[in-house]
Amino acid sequence: MDRVDGVDPVDQRRDDDGHPFLRVEGLGKRFGGIQAVADVSLDLARGELLGIIGPNGSGKTTLVNLISGFVRPSAGEVRFRGRRIDRMPPHRIVRLGIARTFQMVRPFYELPAYKNMIIPLFSPRVRGLVGGKYGDRDAVALDLLEEVGFERDAFVAYKPAGALPQGYLKRLELAKAMALEPELLILDELFSGLSLAEVASIVPIIEKLRQGGMTLIMIEHRLRELFRIADRVVVLNHGRKIADGPPAAVMEMDAVKSAYLGAAAETAETSDPETEAP
Amino acid sequence: MLIGTAIYALINSFILALMAMGFNLTFGISGVANFAYGAFYVMAAYGAWIFTHKAGLPYGVAVMLSIGLTTMGGALMYRFVLMRVRGQTLSEVIATFGMGLAILELFRYMGFVGFEYTLPNLVEGSVFFLGVYVDYQRLLIVAVGALMVVGLWLFTRFTSLGLAFRGIAQDERTALTFGMDPDRIATIAVAFGAGLAAIAAVVIVPLGTISPEEGYDVLIKALAVCIIGGLGSTGGVIAASFLIGFAERFTDAYIGSHWTMIVSLAAILLVLAVKPSGLFGHQKELEERI
Repeated sequence: MDRVDGVDPVDQRRDDDGHPFLRVEGLGKRFGGIQAVADVSLDLARGELLGIIGPNGSGKTTLVNLISGFVRPSAGEVRFRGRRIDRMPPHRIVRLGIARTFQMVRPFYELPAYKNMIIPLFSPRVRGLVGGKYGDRDAVALDLLEEVGFERDAFVAYKPAGALPQGYLKRLELAKAMALEPELLILDELFSGLSLAEVASIVPIIEKLRQGGMTLIMIEHRLRELFRIADRVVVLNHGRKIADGPPAAVMEMDAVKSAYLGAAAETAETSDPETEAP
Repeated sequence: MLIGTAIYALINSFILALMAMGFNLTFGISGVANFAYGAFYVMAAYGAWIFTHKAGLPYGVAVMLSIGLTTMGGALMYRFVLMRVRGQTLSEVIATFGMGLAILELFRYMGFVGFEYTLPNLVEGSVFFLGVYVDYQRLLIVAVGALMVVGLWLFTRFTSLGLAFRGIAQDERTALTFGMDPDRIATIAVAFGAGLAAIAAVVIVPLGTISPEEGYDVLIKALAVCIIGGLGSTGGVIAASFLIGFAERFTDAYIGSHWTMIVSLAAILLVLAVKPSGLFGHQKELEERI
């Protein structure tokens, strides 16, 4: 693992010395006249599962785009294991060990599911980890897909991606990100568009990843399912962090209630919208 | 007459496909429209000529060296010029077109014009076939063209690297998500395209002479094929090459040779009016653009 693109042993030691795994400080992004993300700070420890929630347009996806390098911040900084990553392009950040999925799945519909795994398995990140060789890519692809619930006996992985239901497409996205062997995995609305049963079948996969020591950030609208697995939740509203804490405690906060409930928001308008949770 | 025309039309189609393939490959993988493409073609031909006549190298070595250097030229052009204007399509077009002009006019300025500037046939002789004489060089063009088309098709469909290239071609976001450097991919794409132009040059040039004009001509033909077939589509390049290749030869044989040039230009206008994305091309959905 040490040989990944510039991550020298010194960096790793500093991480163990108490450098935060991920630290976001005063992060902001302005698109023209719109402040999409404003002054967001948060810390993430190794092995944690952090949920990011908030109403539509509250800046959740922008925040994740800022961390993964797809959008450049207008203010603030992001440090991953002590190293500044907020000026790096996305492909460099991936090589440091931050992988992500997108809300909108874009598989190659005409290719079989397991052939879709080709691109992550060709990634320099993976080549960096295994020293240039990755054995039989198809076998690795099939193993990973089985891990995310592609039943091997039913040969689901051999079907064209275009013939798969949404639940499998989301799991394919998850498998593609997992193929990069990330240290931090960011999932952008993995549960959206899925039935309760489909979500229920994905939750154990995420729990298993956690048991393996994976650090995760999940953007979710499906709060009930998220709260069952998240250690901590950050709530965004109008680009600002309005709460940060364990799921149960966060949902009791007035600022969060008013952000989520339209009617309550009217009455809570007078309270300071920047109230930071402890 | 009919069979002879058909055979020469077939050869003409392979010439067009060879000329267009590199331009198409570069665009397909990286989205760079390399307007210096014709200049690379001419540069490879002059390179092979200079290495044989001035440096005295054996012809085979000269050809290999020239193809290699042209490929490197493509990579250098991306690294030192295009990379700095990457993403600004208009600037990319102007930069590549400017480079092409500079290279072609430099050759003209240095006096590389005349009948002595040509390359020898790689294979001599001819064969009498279905009532027409076809020389081995033209058969070689067909063979190389077919080999490239089939090779490229197999490569992009059945090898992992080819599939990865195709994936990147379809979706830059995916490339970035999985840690691939778009600049590196584009460097390879432009270099491959220049290399294909060089291969086309060394097999096609023996039929005529090398001149700066040839560079403009190749660029126009490559553009015509790609516009008609649909930019970035390999199937489109093949279909369009055959369409123009046959139309040109049959016009030449049955209507008049002075109409030949009109055929491809009219086809461009027609396709642009009816289906601007080309026969096999498709516009990207809005949501697919980053």
